[in-house]
Amino acid sequence: MAMKIPRLLQAALVLIGVYVGFIVVFDVLLQAIIPSSLLAMYMFFVTAGVFMVFTYDEEGTRELVAPIKALVEDPSKRLIRNIVFVIVPLAAGAATYFQMQPSFEAPVELRTIHPAPPTTAKIYGKQVNLLKLENPFRELEKEDPDQFRELVDEGAAVYIRNCQFCHGDKLDGNGPYAAGLNPTPLNFQDVGTIAQLQESYLFWRISTGGPGLPKEAAPWISSMPVWQDFLTEDEIWKVILYLYDYTGHEPRSWEHE
Amino acid sequence: MMVCGLLKSTYLLLIAGLLTFYAGPVQAQSADADNGEVIYAKRCQQCHGEEGDGLGPAAERLNPPPRDFTLGLYKIKSSAFEEDFPNDDDLLRMVRDGMPGTAMPGWSDLLTDQEIRDVVAYIKIFAEIEEEPEQQIDFGTQVASSAESIAAGKELYHADDRCSECHGNDGKGNAIKKLKDDNGDRTWPRNLTKPWTFRASNEPKDIFTRITAGIPTTQMPSFADPKSKKVLNIEERWHVANYVASLAKEIEVVRPENTVIQAGRIDGDLPAKPDDPAWNSAPPSTFFMVPQIVGKERFYTATNDTISVRALYNDTHIAINLEWDDRTMSIPGDDQAIAIADEEIYQDAIAVQWPIKIVEGMEKPYFLMGDTSKPVNLWRWSSGTTQEPESVAVFDAAGIGQQQPRGDTGELVATGSYQAGTWRVVMIRPLNTDATDNDLQFEEGRFIPVAFFAWDGSNSENGSRLAMTTWYWLLLKPPPSAMPMVAAIIIALLVAAVLIFWGRSAAAGRKE
Repeated sequence: MAMKIPRLLQAALVLIGVYVGFIVVFDVLLQAIIPSSLLAMYMFFVTAGVFMVFTYDEEGTRELVAPIKALVEDPSKRLIRNIVFVIVPLAAGAATYFQMQPSFEAPVELRTIHPAPPTTAKIYGKQVNLLKLENPFRELEKEDPDQFRELVDEGAAVYIRNCQFCHGDKLDGNGPYAAGLNPTPLNFQDVGTIAQLQESYLFWRISTGGPGLPKEAAPWISSMPVWQDFLTEDEIWKVILYLYDYTGHEPRSWEHE
Repeated sequence: MMVCGLLKSTYLLLIAGLLTFYAGPVQAQSADADNGEVIYAKRCQQCHGEEGDGLGPAAERLNPPPRDFTLGLYKIKSSAFEEDFPNDDDLLRMVRDGMPGTAMPGWSDLLTDQEIRDVVAYIKIFAEIEEEPEQQIDFGTQVASSAESIAAGKELYHADDRCSECHGNDGKGNAIKKLKDDNGDRTWPRNLTKPWTFRASNEPKDIFTRITAGIPTTQMPSFADPKSKKVLNIEERWHVANYVASLAKEIEVVRPENTVIQAGRIDGDLPAKPDDPAWNSAPPSTFFMVPQIVGKERFYTATNDTISVRALYNDTHIAINLEWDDRTMSIPGDDQAIAIADEEIYQDAIAVQWPIKIVEGMEKPYFLMGDTSKPVNLWRWSSGTTQEPESVAVFDAAGIGQQQPRGDTGELVATGSYQAGTWRVVMIRPLNTDATDNDLQFEEGRFIPVAFFAWDGSNSENGSRLAMTTWYWLLLKPPPSAMPMVAAIIIALLVAAVLIFWGRSAAAGRKE
């Protein structure tokens, strides 16, 4: 066998690897800087996991702590022991000092972007069963493509008059007002938004807007208007046709699942 | 972060390199206007209209309105001022990069270079533009920016009221002049200190181009036109371009990661006047403002687009300094103010929104003036009229349009000052009040939600016609304490003691 990496070093390497991995994936590749509190929580679980794996049997445990034991007990390691005994307390002191500095970073607000919809919701004054609700115009896509195209165009007009200010001409969530809003408007081009949802879900989200969200989705910060106050039911269904038509996404439906 | 930025800039350089590399061959390919028509129908006509006349369904809500292609006149134009039409490269640029500060996005992520070329070929048909302009701008030799060049530019900017006539003495577009575009729609001279609103960029070369060719369809003339009394030669235009580029705000700019207004603690009295130099020690947080299009009545054409906020506190009071550019000082009753205003004039106003209590956990009041379950407080300052002085009021709000003014503003006071196109308002209130059920009680070290609303009275902004932000945070920064250092020393000593004990007992073990 080739030279064996000491078990303690192995554990340290795994931890460093995971840490660097998080930074590379989130901060560099996804360009979404991972909040330090979240990273600390992830690393806590990773450390616990690594510890469990490396101390799975007795021999492994012994091997893991052997270098530490030797450092303290082996008389020939006196010099390095003295160095470690100075550095470790200093490091612990420094860590405490920085840990106790007050943080001026904004609190992290975790919210569910696509919360589970209720089974029924009150929309336009009626109690609507969202499980059964379908886009009344969808069937025209096959039955009467010309009329369907007209409806999509009407949806486009509704969108441009009402939605593009935030969600953008390109439906990419980057309209002229987007930078002034927090949370930022959704990007419909993204495969993680309308492509994952049913048309009834969109109808619920559009008609009841931010204030219609359940608590886990933080309705108090969403700037999505309550569109049933401004648009007709048909206008909402047409704008939904347009969202899917423009992006090329297909709405999800019960049949496919 | 550093690596991230580096990667990003390398990437951009790479893209820029590729673009330059491909510019030749792509240009050589012929554009397919028929394909352009197909793309136009899908991507462009919703705003610009089937006939290219800019009369799409959203025309009256967009500010500025969509371009009317039938005239063939465009704001970005690098052909000489004698020419009506822009170069193909100008059109390609507008489609590719978009027009910042408008609803026109850049299309380079959805359309290929060839597709953009096809669309441009199609758009030119609306105005029957067949050939590219012959006469081009003479850029001469670019004068690099320097203190001397900027000083020379400043001189020329002000001489004969050449630029200051519209853009104002400090470049904030605050000269008292009512401008219109060729269509008769109201336009505002560019605030030259906000480069993020420039349709092209604030690179001196772009500014030189605008000064030289003028901005078609607007009242911005060409300063290369020998018939103009204010004509400038090439070198002078570079100086003015360098001066204009130097006007860009550096401190009061939006930094998206800066969502917390940090109030520093000071000893003694808080600065009650907006221009008190004590405010220089407080770092500003700047936020974008957007028109209020969420609640009734929706409003699309607000003029305020950013607000900068500073805060300071002492052992008894908190002071908030609000600063925003406003081209007009709106004083109802004042003839000059009425002349510049739109149909109706109201007072300029600003409001700070607070929750009634510091929130525990995540749940805040609804960002747009609260709701009945969680109302908010508004501190609203108004600029005054010829009849009454500036004033401040406290409102209890439970939704937009549901604001109740309090008869008594308690100990809240506010003072505003308008200088060179900028309002500055300071509001001061005791940290704690008697009305603990209705008033926010400030606490050191807590994150307190805060939002802002602004009204430009000359733009007929009043009631729900306003510019708004969403929730941000205010933090009363605790003064530095000795606690961390004390704790660090204790922990270090404890760890050292444990290690020494461990080492000793190991040594003792060996001896036995």
